[in-house]
Amino acid sequence: MNLDRIIAVRNTKTIYRDGDRCIKVFNSEHSKADVLNEALNLARIEETGLNIPKVIEVMTVEGKWAIVYEFINGRTLSQLIEENPDKKSEYISQLVDIQLEILSKTCPMLNKLKEKMHRKISSSSLDATTRYDLHTRLEGMPTHNKVCHGDFNPSNVVIADNGEHYILDWSHVTQGNASADAARTYLLFCLNHDEDTAKEYLHKFCEKSDTAIQYVQSWMPIVAASQSVKGNEEEQKLLHSWIHVADYM
Amino acid sequence: MEKKKYEPVESVEQLEAALGRVRAAQKIYASFTQEQVDKIFLAAASAANKARIPLAQLAVEETGMGVVEDKVIKNNYAAEHIYNAYRYTKTCGVIEEDKAYGTKKIAEPIGVVAAVIPTTNPTSTAIFKALICLKTRNGIIFSPHPRAKKCTVEAAKIVLEAAVKAGAPEDIIAWIDTPSLDMTNLVMKEADIILATGGPGMVRAAYSSGKPALGVGAGNTPAIIDESADIVLAVNSIIHSKTFDNGMICASEQSVIVHDKVYDAVRNEFTARGCYLLKGDEIDKVRHTIIINGALNAKIVGQSAAKIAELAGVTVPAGTKILIGEVESVDISEEFAHEKLSPVLAMYRAKDLDDAFGKAEQLIADGGFGHTSSIYINTATGGEKLDEFEARMKTCRILINTPSSHGGIGDLYNFKLTPSLTLGCGSWGGNSVSENVGVKHLLNIKTVAERRENMLWFRAPEKVYIKKGCLPVALDELKAEMNKKRAFIVTDSFLYGAGFTKPITDKLDAMGIVHTTFFDVEPDPTLASAEAGAAQMRSFKPDVIIALGGGSAMDAAKIMWVLYEHPEADFKDMAMRFIDIRKRVYKFPKMGEKAYFVAIPTSAGTGSEVTPFAVITDQDDGCKYPLADYELLPNMAIIDTDMHMTAPKGLTAASGIDAVTHALEAYASVMATGYTDGLAIQALKAIFEYLPRAYEDGSDVEARENMANAATMAGMAFANAFLGVSHSLAHKLGAFHHIPHGIANALVICDVLRFNAAEAPVKMGTFSQYDHPHTLARYAQIADALGLGGKTDEEKLENLIAAIEELKEKIGIKKTIADYGVSEEDFLATLDEMSIQAFDDQCTGANPRYPLVSELKQLYMNAYYGKTFTDVEMPRN
Repeated sequence: MNLDRIIAVRNTKTIYRDGDRCIKVFNSEHSKADVLNEALNLARIEETGLNIPKVIEVMTVEGKWAIVYEFINGRTLSQLIEENPDKKSEYISQLVDIQLEILSKTCPMLNKLKEKMHRKISSSSLDATTRYDLHTRLEGMPTHNKVCHGDFNPSNVVIADNGEHYILDWSHVTQGNASADAARTYLLFCLNHDEDTAKEYLHKFCEKSDTAIQYVQSWMPIVAASQSVKGNEEEQKLLHSWIHVADYM
Repeated sequence: MEKKKYEPVESVEQLEAALGRVRAAQKIYASFTQEQVDKIFLAAASAANKARIPLAQLAVEETGMGVVEDKVIKNNYAAEHIYNAYRYTKTCGVIEEDKAYGTKKIAEPIGVVAAVIPTTNPTSTAIFKALICLKTRNGIIFSPHPRAKKCTVEAAKIVLEAAVKAGAPEDIIAWIDTPSLDMTNLVMKEADIILATGGPGMVRAAYSSGKPALGVGAGNTPAIIDESADIVLAVNSIIHSKTFDNGMICASEQSVIVHDKVYDAVRNEFTARGCYLLKGDEIDKVRHTIIINGALNAKIVGQSAAKIAELAGVTVPAGTKILIGEVESVDISEEFAHEKLSPVLAMYRAKDLDDAFGKAEQLIADGGFGHTSSIYINTATGGEKLDEFEARMKTCRILINTPSSHGGIGDLYNFKLTPSLTLGCGSWGGNSVSENVGVKHLLNIKTVAERRENMLWFRAPEKVYIKKGCLPVALDELKAEMNKKRAFIVTDSFLYGAGFTKPITDKLDAMGIVHTTFFDVEPDPTLASAEAGAAQMRSFKPDVIIALGGGSAMDAAKIMWVLYEHPEADFKDMAMRFIDIRKRVYKFPKMGEKAYFVAIPTSAGTGSEVTPFAVITDQDDGCKYPLADYELLPNMAIIDTDMHMTAPKGLTAASGIDAVTHALEAYASVMATGYTDGLAIQALKAIFEYLPRAYEDGSDVEARENMANAATMAGMAFANAFLGVSHSLAHKLGAFHHIPHGIANALVICDVLRFNAAEAPVKMGTFSQYDHPHTLARYAQIADALGLGGKTDEEKLENLIAAIEELKEKIGIKKTIADYGVSEEDFLATLDEMSIQAFDDQCTGANPRYPLVSELKQLYMNAYYGKTFTDVEMPRN
């Protein structure tokens, strides 16, 4: 195992490349259950037939948990958008197609999106009244069972050199409502200060999936609340403005 | 005053205990009388009314939304108008009774009502729901919104204390002190019904709880101002309504759609009355303040126009009533097109009324399906426009020239719309009710229905003339009383050739009535021949039709009569099977508008001269259409024995035995009455005595006359009591094997008697009057009337059967179907189809025993092989 080549460092994990393998080493504060769950999620998603880097092994490296999976040679969609701004629309369209491909799958053993959202709302620092409104809003949402990536954005899609696409980072995957997943992607664009692309994405998603835009929008206070669990101060401002909406008569 | 202490409800466990207390209280309350309930209702309404101001203050203070003075009106309204609407309404026990029909409606409470209360009307909705629950003897548990829990709970307490003081069980009202989703869900799951007023999320949660829910949803009321509207009234009504409690009534106007021709005038009136028209980038600023990601910004709900403007960074005078955005798009991408729950209004310019309707439809579809729409128009001149508006709006309340906040809740600006603070939006809004919710939605109504028997009738031609030689006397009336001018005679070629029509035509000539004769009627008349006759009628234009002959001629004439008067009539429709002739789907056309119908029988049997029946055969497929309707009843029947004297032996026998079966079946019918019984018995007595004589000696006038009258009496009996399975079976034997109708009946009747006489039939006929299988006793009555003797009913039945067999023998009727030349092979090949068709025959319905197809098959087999009917074995303990 060669851990010389670091390809990414995140808050809680470091990712190394070793030839055609990728080693994701988690910090010690990362619970064993979370790591094993992520590996399990990946294994389950593999079974759906989606194109993802395959898990090769789960191990410990110097007492830290690590997941070893295939390294995919290619460029992420976010890199491609940056490099070819004139082709942005094409890439957004491709992004939506790939998301819809994911959403077309089911995977009964995954965690349930609504349960996860309820947990996130409960653990947020929002006041009780707002949490009550959010819980109520969430409770009224239809319960679906589509595979929802949970962190779907252009940096998690790699277009390999052979033109095939691979979807990365399945740590937030759940099964649930497609519109919730789309609302999350929209939010990620907005948090990235790219409202124009966010809007373009949303319209394309609604058009291709034949979904009413209000339906996706009705998830936004919920995904914003779940996002507010993390997020920095600047992000909190945007998230809070999204959360404080009325849903009563 | 010392405040009473209540057990706090702050956890699921405490809530379960509270639910138990309400349930126990409600059990006691369920036995209260109307008088007790009305006393409690009055006390509760009075207490709520008295607390209108403190509750309004508390609500505004706690929620930070709305206007105290307007909330006072809402509280006052919820107490007073609800009390007034239901003060005399019966909600306990028997609330409706119809002694004649033997029905009662009994109101019962539903049980425990879960009441979800919104923040927008936190005290008035609580008062409203508590009052309607008390009035209906239901317990109620409130799930307030956390933002308004104190004031909602306070309202609930006030009502509870007054109710208890007036005698209501303690704990009949309860509430959640610290609401959580888990507790709201538990309340919804445990209650017997949910009264959910709230946003779509809450309403969906209510509907998905598995309990019946009365949920309502969001509105997005458009107000159209037509060019014919009273502009001052329209604009000021909208301002009044939109500013009411800072726009928090769900029926409140969200958009004004103004006809191009009056747009400027409307605009000026709005400005003159203190509304602010947003300019330039102010529109965008407000847009992005009121709606976030397609959802309403919670910070603007129930705020004043100035406050909202400030939030948006727009400066307006402090007294501004409404912020108006003049916008174009009605699409949901336009923020102003949403429900705003605040004094912010969209204003659209419509190029004409059709454009306005289109815009309103879109606004409703996107945000307020099923809720409320309104229009300002001159009602005196706008009839058609209004009709169109009413037809196009998919809203459960359509208000005209009315402030919609006040109009939608009812009883303020209109006086027949149920006063309510919970407005149903129908299936369009995903609701179970489309009306304003009231006490009737909180009651289980038990309908008690006592057994009642069907109305029966006795109908006969208006004139039945009887006596040998009476024909010319009766026909006199055609001229003397009716002044008829053109007579159309229908008969068959034999009777025509034998000169039977001559006495009639002589008489008509003498009276100066022009006439023509159709004499091509065949046995089993076809639709084609009836059409030929009808064609002649259409060119001749008779005002009287005279049918002369047996069943075929009279039936054919009846059909020609129908075709002549109603050429468009469809026989398939007319022949549609029915259970009850008074409830049949098909409405028979009115007869007699062109011609009067006279029937003169020439043989004794069919009874067609006095019956509402006619059978016609479709020559193309051999299908028989049995028509039955009192419209087909002849107007005059002439029973003149002179016309019967030359009937041949075979006809005398076949039609005579047909009359026997008419009388027997009418007597056994579930629809038999004393009126028809008398006729049937009299007919049978006469036939048993005179048929053999008339058969033996056709010139026996006494026998002929008695037979002629007996046949008509039997006809009257079955014209009203109808027939039974003997005729069902005979009809198909005739159709499949061409056995003459009377003979076919004779072959099956005795076995049908045995079949019907069963004391424990597999199934009995369905008719209220027919309370138990008692046909054996009915047949015994016939045997008695005929003096046949016998000690028991069984013996009497056997004697009756023996008498019928003897009669058949005397008049030369053979024993079995086989004896009439039907080969076994042909018979068996058609047996199943005949059985099914006989089962479906119109005559089956009145039979006292409801036959199984297999039983009818057995009857056919018996009639073929000369066997007798035996039932399947029944348990006898």
